[in-house]
Amino acid sequence: MLLSAFTEDLLVRVYSKLGSDSDRKTWRLVCKDFLRVDSVTRRSLRVLRSEFLHGLLSKYKNLDTLDLSVCPRIEDATVSVLLSQAVNSVSWTRWVTRLVLSRASGLRYGGLERLVGACPCLEVLDVSYCWGYGDREAWAISSVRGLRELKMDKCLGVSDVGLAKIAVGCGKLERLSLKWCMEISDLGVDLLCKKCLELKSLDVSYLKVTSESLCSIASLPKLEVLAMVGCPFLDDYGLQFLEHGCPSLQAIDVSRCGCVSSSGLISVIRGHRGLAILNAGYCFSELSAMVLHSLKDLKNLNTIRIDGAQVSDSSFQTFSTNCKSLVEIGLSKCVGVTNMGIMQLVYGCVGLKIVNLTCCRYITDEAISALANSCRNLVSLKLEACDKVTEKSLDQLGSCCLQLEELDLTDCCGVNDKGLKYLSRCSELLSLKLGLCTNISDKGLAYIAHNCTKISELDLYRCTSLGDDGLAALSSGCKNLMKLNLSYCNGVTDTGVQYIGRLGQLSDLEMRGLVNLTSEGLTAVVAGCKKLSDLDLKHCGNIDDSGFWALSYYSRNMRQINMSYCAVSDVGLCMVLGNLTRLQDVKLVHLMNVTVKGFELALRACCVRIKKVKLIGSLRFLLSTEILETLHARGCKIRWE
Amino acid sequence: MDHKEMPRPTADTWGKSFPSGNELLKNISSDDTPLTISQRPQQKWEDPSMLDYNTRIEPPFQEFKQRSETQSSLPCNPNNQNKVTDEDVQMNGTIQTEKIQDWDPRAMLNNLNFLEQKIHQLQDLVHLIVGRRSQALGRPDELLAQQKQLITADLTSIIVQLISTAGSLLPSVKPLSGTTPTGQLGQLGGLFLPSTVGPNGSVQPQNNGGSKVSDQSNQMDITVNCGNEQNYNVEEHESKDDEDADEGENLPPGSYEILQLEKEEILAPHTHFCTICGKGFKRDANLRMHMRGHGDEYKTPAALAKPNKEATSEPMLIKRYSCPYAGCKRNKDHKKFQPLKTILCVKNHYKRTHCDKSYTCSRCNTKKFSVIADLKTHEKHCGKDKWLCSCGTTFSRKDKLFGHIALFQGHTPAIPLEETKGPTVPPDRGEGNEAINKVRSINFNFGSNAPNGNEVQNTADVKGNIEDPTGYFSPLNFDTWNFGGFHEFPRPPYEDSESSLSFLIPGSCNYTVPGSCNYTQKTGAESSSNNPE
Repeated sequence: MLLSAFTEDLLVRVYSKLGSDSDRKTWRLVCKDFLRVDSVTRRSLRVLRSEFLHGLLSKYKNLDTLDLSVCPRIEDATVSVLLSQAVNSVSWTRWVTRLVLSRASGLRYGGLERLVGACPCLEVLDVSYCWGYGDREAWAISSVRGLRELKMDKCLGVSDVGLAKIAVGCGKLERLSLKWCMEISDLGVDLLCKKCLELKSLDVSYLKVTSESLCSIASLPKLEVLAMVGCPFLDDYGLQFLEHGCPSLQAIDVSRCGCVSSSGLISVIRGHRGLAILNAGYCFSELSAMVLHSLKDLKNLNTIRIDGAQVSDSSFQTFSTNCKSLVEIGLSKCVGVTNMGIMQLVYGCVGLKIVNLTCCRYITDEAISALANSCRNLVSLKLEACDKVTEKSLDQLGSCCLQLEELDLTDCCGVNDKGLKYLSRCSELLSLKLGLCTNISDKGLAYIAHNCTKISELDLYRCTSLGDDGLAALSSGCKNLMKLNLSYCNGVTDTGVQYIGRLGQLSDLEMRGLVNLTSEGLTAVVAGCKKLSDLDLKHCGNIDDSGFWALSYYSRNMRQINMSYCAVSDVGLCMVLGNLTRLQDVKLVHLMNVTVKGFELALRACCVRIKKVKLIGSLRFLLSTEILETLHARGCKIRWE
Repeated sequence: MDHKEMPRPTADTWGKSFPSGNELLKNISSDDTPLTISQRPQQKWEDPSMLDYNTRIEPPFQEFKQRSETQSSLPCNPNNQNKVTDEDVQMNGTIQTEKIQDWDPRAMLNNLNFLEQKIHQLQDLVHLIVGRRSQALGRPDELLAQQKQLITADLTSIIVQLISTAGSLLPSVKPLSGTTPTGQLGQLGGLFLPSTVGPNGSVQPQNNGGSKVSDQSNQMDITVNCGNEQNYNVEEHESKDDEDADEGENLPPGSYEILQLEKEEILAPHTHFCTICGKGFKRDANLRMHMRGHGDEYKTPAALAKPNKEATSEPMLIKRYSCPYAGCKRNKDHKKFQPLKTILCVKNHYKRTHCDKSYTCSRCNTKKFSVIADLKTHEKHCGKDKWLCSCGTTFSRKDKLFGHIALFQGHTPAIPLEETKGPTVPPDRGEGNEAINKVRSINFNFGSNAPNGNEVQNTADVKGNIEDPTGYFSPLNFDTWNFGGFHEFPRPPYEDSESSLSFLIPGSCNYTVPGSCNYTQKTGAESSSNNPE
């Protein structure tokens, strides 16, 4: 009655304030009016269950984003059906500008052509990790004249010809990622740079392109972001082209380019004073004084990553004086990072928010304290394998850096319960990694659980001192937990795991090598965590078929599962693979109780939706060719161990 | 075989071109069907010059022919054959470095010596016969006839040798000493051996033997073929550095000797002829190889060695060649005369520039060539112009295509229709394409049997089908799902509408298409038989 007083546009305004999917779901369930508001207003759809797709698309007419990346069973036929309904009524494709088809490996050029052809307003297309895509699919994509953004990561079959198709067809392209499109060479990149002059962002990472490509890329007038990670044939000579080209370049990533050295980097810096992001990790062994000196010209530099470089205290001195506006610094695996260096750095760069000190082993509490004191806005700090860090650091962080959202303390032996108590004052923490911190116990975890209620990702890998009580605390405190790693926490038993079942938001759960875990515990988890989509049960040898039966019944959203070394039988495996209709990625090595017949049957049961499967190599010759062919044809990748 | 040869102007090729005949031989030798072998002599007979040959040389020669037949087929024993080819290869190497040598006084001297020997031998033989005759007058006629044969054979071989020796003089003599000797020699050739200028392989007596020796002749063909093929290879190799290659050479006039071959010589297929059987060769080395078949005396290292080996040490005037075509830049009378380096250059230049392009590519039927090697080179790449632009232009190289595309607005590379997934297929997807086709055919109601491969058709069918969405069963349309016999499958006791569907094998429930029937039934049956309950 009260609700009927609200006009529809008022409801729409309220609806637009809703933050999360679960809130919107609640909204939809209120009444028909609310449902209608939802269907009229909703712009974006990410579908997990392809069988609902048909109905959903007929309901939501005003979609601008359709995400099918987590949806199994997207094939040419599916597309035909989805498009066929448009004939009768107004097409749902009318306003679609953004299409995410990542990992939709079952979709081939026929379907792709139909789909993109039906979306007249399409501007953004993501076909990354469709590993089977080749030039024909590129051809289909090239028919989208208005395309502005295209992501083709790991479309392994796309060659220069396909790229040429896209370059000619999609002349308005602004953002393009060609990462891991291994067939593409200089020729394709050259043509791209001649045809798509609007390009603002280009990713050619891991391609076998040479300096010739850089010569072409340098001619792009509007390029702002250039990523060239791991291009083994790029060298300083190529970077010299960039010095005089790409006037608006703001971000460049040359990490892992083995042939790039300081001189190449200097020439890029010299040419682009407006550079804001510089990633040169694992490029050169030593950060030369010349590079450091040239950095002072980069007034806008806010991010620099020099992972793996040899640095000295004076380097940090230069950073401190020249790069005042630095927000992010990556020093992972840098040699020569000392307390003194860090103290000098933070003296000047007080605005740092993201600091990566992974494997800087000589860092002690002194440096972290200085960091925490200076950089009050710290958001992310990675201290993996900094084993000299103790509770004193955490004390400082807990008192100074209240904005901290991400902290990686993996393999920091100095972290103990007391430290976690200090740390728990960072109530904004979203991600905490405590892997291999063997000194923390249930008590420490309880501090975190009580205070850091926003935590969504927690890594407790091999925290062997942890027991069931810690998990009990966790389940009551961190209700927002989405990702949890309990692998090899041998102290955890069924009792503890049963608490996990109370975490309703949990989607990723790793429980490798939990020898005490039985079917009882697994049943509790899967019954409770309805959103579970990624489960790792490798080496959980004590789970029998009844656990997997429960899994196959409850985990309707499961997308990825690792059952290697489990004691599952033929029936159990068939149940899991057959009934988990959203399953897309399974690892099934060393299943001792499963026969070849069992594998065959299980794969037949799921081959329509599975996208990736890992099997023991000997099965290659034992499974029928029919099933292997079918899997291939459906775009499923088989990894043989 | 027959079909293959049909489009060829058979008589012509036999007459004019050695290499194309060669190819024919290749085909024959590879197929070795009796049909083709018998076909060959037939063509021979049709050859007018061949008939000429036979009529002119009258009965005694026919006898000789039989003898030489046995001789010439000697080296064709399989045992020998290997050796021949081996050495051929070796010789070939020397040929390549040395290029063609034409008239060489030392070779001439060798030939003359050989002739002298031969005449002496014959003399001895006749002496012997005379002696024996006086001893035994009452001998049967049979022996007499044999002796007569022997002598005629030897005499003929001497005559042939003499002519060929004179013939070897031809190319070099002419430019030096005017026209008269050429005419004479030409006449000579025309008189006695029509084969010298005319059809190349016509002097292959063993082929006239008919079906009786067809086996052997076939073997012979192979050997000959080998040799010629190598010739051809060499030629092709050299054709790259032919007339255009010496463009930059700036020899001062007078520093070299200008030779000019006549048109007939340039177009003559062979310059080296067997003194015994008259068979022609392009290279002396091949002739020497051939000669071994005529007796042990040709197998000595001295006979096999390059006759002019010592001659190279002597200072020789550089030879350059002029094209006989008046007005040609390569003609010595041209103002800006640019000489040709070798005889091969002359030949290729003359054929390319001043002759009809009589060889048409059998693949594209458009490109024409006058030099057979050019045709071969083209044919190697013809149809391989896989870099195709949407405008229809083809390119042999990818970068050329991309240059073209960069230049012209709206042009894109065309993706070949028959190429299904070419490079996209990862190595472990051996039968991937097949499977794709198969599954596609299942999905899209292709009718009973899936067409093999043709992707265009697939697309067409896909589209055709899409027009009528009711035509096939959607994977999403639950109402149409129907699973016979699947209720027995073990399922959890919970009621879940989806899980009941999930055990169905792909295609079995979703796609009830005629094409997929087999598959469906099979998998369905299997899964129910595999039922672990």
